[in-house]
Amino acid sequence: MVVGRVSGQSIESHHPREGTALPSLLVIIPALNEEETVAVVVRGVLDHLPGDVLVIDDGSWDRTAHEATASGAVVLRHPFNLGVGAALRTGFRYAVEHGYTTVVQVDADGQHEVTDAKRLVELVTNGEADLAVGSRFGSDYDVSRMRRLSMKLLSRRVSRYLGTPVHDTTSGFRAFSHSAVTRFARSYPSAYLSDTVEALLMAGDWGLTVVEIPVQMHARKGGQPSASFGKSVYHLSRLTLVIALHRFRRPLYQHVEGVT
Amino acid sequence: MNRLEAVVLVAAVLLMAFTVEVLRRRRLSESYALLWLGVGLSALVLGLARPVVDRVSEALGIAYGTSLVFGVAIIFLLAVCINLSIHVSKLESRVEVLAEEVALLRGPIDGLPGPPDHGGPEGAPAPVINPDAVG
Repeated sequence: MVVGRVSGQSIESHHPREGTALPSLLVIIPALNEEETVAVVVRGVLDHLPGDVLVIDDGSWDRTAHEATASGAVVLRHPFNLGVGAALRTGFRYAVEHGYTTVVQVDADGQHEVTDAKRLVELVTNGEADLAVGSRFGSDYDVSRMRRLSMKLLSRRVSRYLGTPVHDTTSGFRAFSHSAVTRFARSYPSAYLSDTVEALLMAGDWGLTVVEIPVQMHARKGGQPSASFGKSVYHLSRLTLVIALHRFRRPLYQHVEGVT
Repeated sequence: MNRLEAVVLVAAVLLMAFTVEVLRRRRLSESYALLWLGVGLSALVLGLARPVVDRVSEALGIAYGTSLVFGVAIIFLLAVCINLSIHVSKLESRVEVLAEEVALLRGPIDGLPGPPDHGGPEGAPAPVINPDAVG
């Protein structure tokens, strides 16, 4: 079931699912300079989830790619930093090209629990959700007041648009069904934080079922803390603009060729 | 409202409408849209709050309020230009890196042999990257 644990083991490790009709799972881990945590995350996922792991190294200048390969993940590397949205797009396209039917996105910094990832995947494989979102409300997660207010505002507007409550609209802990994967492989927003918020709106447009469940979130083991006040205001106004204009905007399409 | 204020109002509204339209067509990123919407809004404020502008310019020792607005506008546009040149420079270097990546990836696809000291047959000739460039 699990292929490619040892780097460069065989050609097959890069085409693990060809010729099989079984539903298969791809775990996508976008990573930027996470050499300290990525190996643990990859091994944890491989031990507990019945799927393959794809790490998108989004332009790291440390040993992230090396660590991930050594722990048994397939690694794709961006030539420079493009952001989480673009990393996911690469992952979705890889999933479509290699016939994966379910995708779960997990952070490389060890914030997310594997057991929660399992629950998200189950929601999708049971057919209960096309897009399952793991949210951090409930757990004692340390955020600034500005951040909390932004989250509340975004949550209200997105929930109204979708007709389903979503509390943590910027959560990067999500599972995607086959139809979600094929659609997002064609068009996934790439601007910072838009990838999470706008993707929810797009899922709503396509009539996909969005389900949110509470999950554990650990404090970041590495990486930088939340953005400054000014930056938060900027991102909030940008996202408000995105949400306000969403229903009037042309649909987002990239990569129309090559993805069928 | 005098005629000047009406002109400023119309111009600012047109700028904001245009910005929203190109954003709607996805030809402009949201961050730049926010910038130009901000410009439209400040034009509105500056155009309609003439007394405030006059008072500020007086405090700064500038004879005409208009000069203050012009000065601020020029400095702002200069800042935008510099920002754009920085952005273009970044894009330039990214295109270079991308082209390099493509070249490296295309080597094996075009059937070029690897370096002679890595598994290639002994005495294999060094790959000629671009034959047209020789001679």
